Amino acid sequence: MKYIIIGASAAGLACAEQIRKEDKDGTITVFTKENYLPYSRPSISYYLKGAVKESGMYLRKNSFYKTNGIEIITGVEIESIDRQAKTVKAGRKKYSYDKLCICTGSKPFIPPMKNVSCKSNAMNFLDLESVKKIKTKADKNTRAVVIGAGLIGMKAAEGLSKICKSVDVVELAPRVLPSILDEKSAVSVKKYLETQGHIKFHLERTVAQAKSSSDRITSVILDSAEELACDLLILAVGVRPETALAEKAGLEVNRGIITDPGTMQTSDENIYSAGDCTVSEDMLDGSRRVIALWPNAVNQGIAAGSQMAGGSIRIDGSYSVNAIDFYGLRICTCGLINAKGGAYSDRIIRNGDSYKRLIFEGGRLVGYVLINSSENAGIYTSLIERRVDLQELTGDISAVPQPFIFDKTERDKRMKGAIDS
Amino acid sequence: MKRIYAIEELCLNCRLCEVHCKTAHSVSKDIIRANKYEEPAPASRVTVYGDNMRSLALNCRHCDDPKCVKACITGAMTKDAKTGIVYVDEDKCIGCMTCLAVCPYGCIKEGKTAVKCDLCRNEAELACVKNCPNHALIYTDSGDDIK
Repeated sequence: MKYIIIGASAAGLACAEQIRKEDKDGTITVFTKENYLPYSRPSISYYLKGAVKESGMYLRKNSFYKTNGIEIITGVEIESIDRQAKTVKAGRKKYSYDKLCICTGSKPFIPPMKNVSCKSNAMNFLDLESVKKIKTKADKNTRAVVIGAGLIGMKAAEGLSKICKSVDVVELAPRVLPSILDEKSAVSVKKYLETQGHIKFHLERTVAQAKSSSDRITSVILDSAEELACDLLILAVGVRPETALAEKAGLEVNRGIITDPGTMQTSDENIYSAGDCTVSEDMLDGSRRVIALWPNAVNQGIAAGSQMAGGSIRIDGSYSVNAIDFYGLRICTCGLINAKGGAYSDRIIRNGDSYKRLIFEGGRLVGYVLINSSENAGIYTSLIERRVDLQELTGDISAVPQPFIFDKTERDKRMKGAIDS
Repeated sequence: MKRIYAIEELCLNCRLCEVHCKTAHSVSKDIIRANKYEEPAPASRVTVYGDNMRSLALNCRHCDDPKCVKACITGAMTKDAKTGIVYVDEDKCIGCMTCLAVCPYGCIKEGKTAVKCDLCRNEAELACVKNCPNHALIYTDSGDDIK
């Protein structure tokens, strides 16, 4: 069997590893357009602020690929897929496959702004290459402006605030980190970021245009007409699934690549898709959307790899779970944090600088937002994932969840490590 | 693989396992220094839950298919292919705590990096098992052995 994987981040690497577990002989080739072996993209903000070195960012040892017979071809972008001939094309070269997995991730979304594109100090914050460039341009005199207060924008802002003179963040939404925080918690997080990081926020604002001198932006003008001096502009408004290859090949795409939610097989039986380019089915509300988070990408990569190699691993339920920290503030979120409607209720527990919000649907936990209160958060996650009826529990879950919220039978099962098999 | 199993009925809630775990994972390896003076204070990887009526000392289950390893965004969390031990490479861990958010047992603790039981992989003996005064922690092949 010849396996080809396009993309070498979370999903692509997990897919390759799973194929190798189930097929010892097939050839596995992974293409990445980047010039690096698989590395941790989320680590780029830690690299920016100097908390990790490049050598610490690689997901596997260099020898791993040879030992496991996984060929990683770096610096090569696949341009097209020929589904009839079962080949992929890069430049003049064609590579044939029996099974193909598309793990192309996402691409930055840049809204129209006057005078921004192609400027030498306007950049994305997405990959190692981009952060290396930022590092050469940012110093203690730099006045940085970040567009977007989502996970990527805020991580960029945090990293920059340690090396730059000032950081301004412009966000269209009325709150920071809209994808992981609810309205209630976003207010206190914003305050924390302002005091700890000296970040200045401009919420419900967009950048209308930039002023420049030759190819350098010198300031940006907001829709409110306010002008912010700018030596470095980070474009982190958001990302979109990278589906160009799949679309060109005629695969079914609707925002992301459409697959069978269990097997990750696309509308072509020999092509699979996993990770941020792929539509997931959220088991908690049945919605179909892209869940662009690392654990989801890995699980999809594993399922796709297993299915490609004739195995039986399936996705049996996706949901979002995320953990992140800003200046020591730990934020941990899972499930339906922005659920609206009469079916849902919530409970908020505040204690000093900690905040815990549990979201319920009937007698089940369906989401949480934990700020500086993430101790044993995974127990909550497992209650969500396993749709546990909270009435079956013998203890209250508002405090730190621990083994004695379960009855003796369940505690024994957990001691044997037998709850997720 | 052999794992540490806690027997609730025998646990005295004395927390000596925590004291000895800290010592084993300290710089000084001295019980007094490790538990009273060392900075940064070493963290216990085993946690006693409950009260004097019933308690148990919980540490990592070293799952066959660990969620923490799959969720790790840096490749710092790995399961050793030979020993089965799930452990953190502290040089690679950035402390994001995604592992903590997915561990269904609540066996990963917050620190500068993720903190968890490594089955004393760098020690000669298992500190918690060896020092449990009432044999409430046993190291055995299968949880079915325990009564």
